[in-house]
Amino acid sequence: MSGAASLTGPAGGANAARRRRQTAIAWTFAAPFVIIFAMFMVLPIAASLGFSFTDLTAQDVRTPFNVDVVGLRQYADVLTDPRFQHAAGVTAVFVLAGIPLTVALGLALALALNSGVRRFKPVYRVAFYAPVVTSVVAVSVIWRHILARDGLLNMLLALVGVQGPDWLNSTTWALPSLVLMAVWRNAGTLMVIFLAGLQSIPPAVMEAAAMDGAGPWRRLRSVTLPLLRPAMLLGGVLISVGYLQFFEESFVMTQGGPLESTLSLTYYTFNTFGFGDFAKASAASYLMFVVIAAVSLVQFRLLRRAT
Amino acid sequence: MRYRSAVAVLAGLATAAALTACGRSAESPGQAQPSSTVAAKATGRITMWAMGTEGELLPAFLKTFEAANPGVKVDVTAVPWDSSYQKFQTAIASGNVPDVAMMPGLPVFKDAFAPVPEAVRTADMYPGAVATGTMGGRLLEVPWYVDVRVLYYRTDLARKAGWDRPPATWDELRRLAGDLRKKAGAKWGIRLPAGMTGSFLSTLWMPWSNGGELMNAGRSAWTLDTPEFAAAYEYLASYFEQGLADANADPAPAAAVKDFLTGATPMLVAGPFVRGAITQSAGDAFTGKYATVPLPAGKSSTSFVGGANLVVFKAAKNPGSAWKLVQWLSEPSTQVAWYRASGDLPAVRSAWQDPALTADPTLAAFAEQLKTAKAPPQLVSFDKVGAAGDSAIERIVKGGTPVADALRQLQQQADGIGVS
Repeated sequence: MSGAASLTGPAGGANAARRRRQTAIAWTFAAPFVIIFAMFMVLPIAASLGFSFTDLTAQDVRTPFNVDVVGLRQYADVLTDPRFQHAAGVTAVFVLAGIPLTVALGLALALALNSGVRRFKPVYRVAFYAPVVTSVVAVSVIWRHILARDGLLNMLLALVGVQGPDWLNSTTWALPSLVLMAVWRNAGTLMVIFLAGLQSIPPAVMEAAAMDGAGPWRRLRSVTLPLLRPAMLLGGVLISVGYLQFFEESFVMTQGGPLESTLSLTYYTFNTFGFGDFAKASAASYLMFVVIAAVSLVQFRLLRRAT
Repeated sequence: MRYRSAVAVLAGLATAAALTACGRSAESPGQAQPSSTVAAKATGRITMWAMGTEGELLPAFLKTFEAANPGVKVDVTAVPWDSSYQKFQTAIASGNVPDVAMMPGLPVFKDAFAPVPEAVRTADMYPGAVATGTMGGRLLEVPWYVDVRVLYYRTDLARKAGWDRPPATWDELRRLAGDLRKKAGAKWGIRLPAGMTGSFLSTLWMPWSNGGELMNAGRSAWTLDTPEFAAAYEYLASYFEQGLADANADPAPAAAVKDFLTGATPMLVAGPFVRGAITQSAGDAFTGKYATVPLPAGKSSTSFVGGANLVVFKAAKNPGSAWKLVQWLSEPSTQVAWYRASGDLPAVRSAWQDPALTADPTLAAFAEQLKTAKAPPQLVSFDKVGAAGDSAIERIVKGGTPVADALRQLQQQADGIGVS
């Protein structure tokens, strides 16, 4: 937009007037959305950013402007809170374990559907994608029953003579259980992205590789995976933003326990809001926003280099 | 690019406006109290919010009040429990409050409540219940109904285990729990909270019965790292160490009732709600199989009292008539009628003399327990201290942290949270 003015010289005056008129019309059409967006999204977001520099709590809801500005104290409080640090660690484990596993499973499913499975392809596609579109709360409730002490999983393990742990009540197993559930749930998204990526690989390249004597494994490693890298990075960004904010799983299944072993950053923020510490919770939200933005930025840099 | 900068300018302006307008004034607004008075006769329209079952039953129940006060119309809005906190918050922030509301404590909103006028008598109410409505030394909420914890136990299984009388002391309670497992085939002896939300509150009867206090006499500091608390938590932990209580029990209230009915966990410490749940799922036939008794005594038998109160908001549009309604709801005869309608236990002492309540053998324990039951201080910070207490209990029970260490840590956290 800003370049438009310099391009149109004195000769293009009529052109410029037309453009201005068009712009005005466009704004008029966009106005209903812009106004609503500004009122219900931009203002609250700006307000929460502002409040993160104050000492606002639930007691101030009647007089939200009657609070003290405390600068960065809320941010310092959050960063030095051992529970926040613990929650950051839990979230890091969840992300670092979850993303590679999800990518691997999504890739395996996509490869299988692309070349291995011959019949009932749509059925499989729907089956693997179904968890993505199912409500995460519903899924969590079902998984809580599967992972219960005398639940389905332990019944199956008992059939082969293994005494399974009480998954969700064990400090060792609760977080891995949630990671596995998230992997199962999100692999479908990546599968769809990877399938699209696989289908865009020209068959000629594959044939050429086969002619050169590359076996299936070699073709996968040297042809398919490098050509799939843009799709993999895109999938990685999409999934990591979701994983960094993981919340519903532990909210429904473990309430952050046992012994806070599944307390995520979002859960920490949620609890802080729950105690009415609005300013501190806003500060925690913005810290998380910075982390998510940074992670996404790094991934986009990688993505740009690869393409 | 221009759009983005416009948005940025907008956001910046809003932030700047918000920040420049900030600053806590010494006087909080609304310090000038509107005088609370009770109208001689309720008139006009009274709006009322109530949660859960109460919200459903009130419209029919209030017909009597409307008949006694011609020209008055009470509009009851049923508010779901889950969203009640947010609803009150929004209402108070926007100034669009009802006249009267059912209020489960929530001292965080205390600045929005009008002080209770003298004419609404609370002298005949249980002291523990009155304490739940007292904030900052002033009565802001009128007790409506009470929820007090007593011991439920399966008399049939206890008899099988060789007990024909209820446990009276802490030591007896633990022995009965053991006998129920060994001799009566119960899976667990008793259900005790192991650190889930609410554990600290639900086990407060232990430190209290052991002479512990949450705060010092001047209410200027938390006193959680005391020998009384330590001994009480050692006692709590012993149930889990000896396998008498299940640290990983399903925390849902329905699960507690189910395990009680099947006999898997034949003892629990719970409020009056469980009576109703038992009758509802097992019918009257089950009444002979269990009993409610006062909590076994340590140095004393001191239970926890909660429940719900009634408030009139400062911003109420019809305050005089609203107080009239609150006054009517706290009359002994109304309290008995409300017990009949809802099963909620009266907060007014004399209502307990009514045959409707004295006839029910399972209520005697509640009447007894209410005389001495206590409420935690109504402070905003108590929510956080309670949550810290929950995790202290979890560390003791599930994490194997020594009681002394967990309490020292809890005391530090509580000191950090403060007493506001």
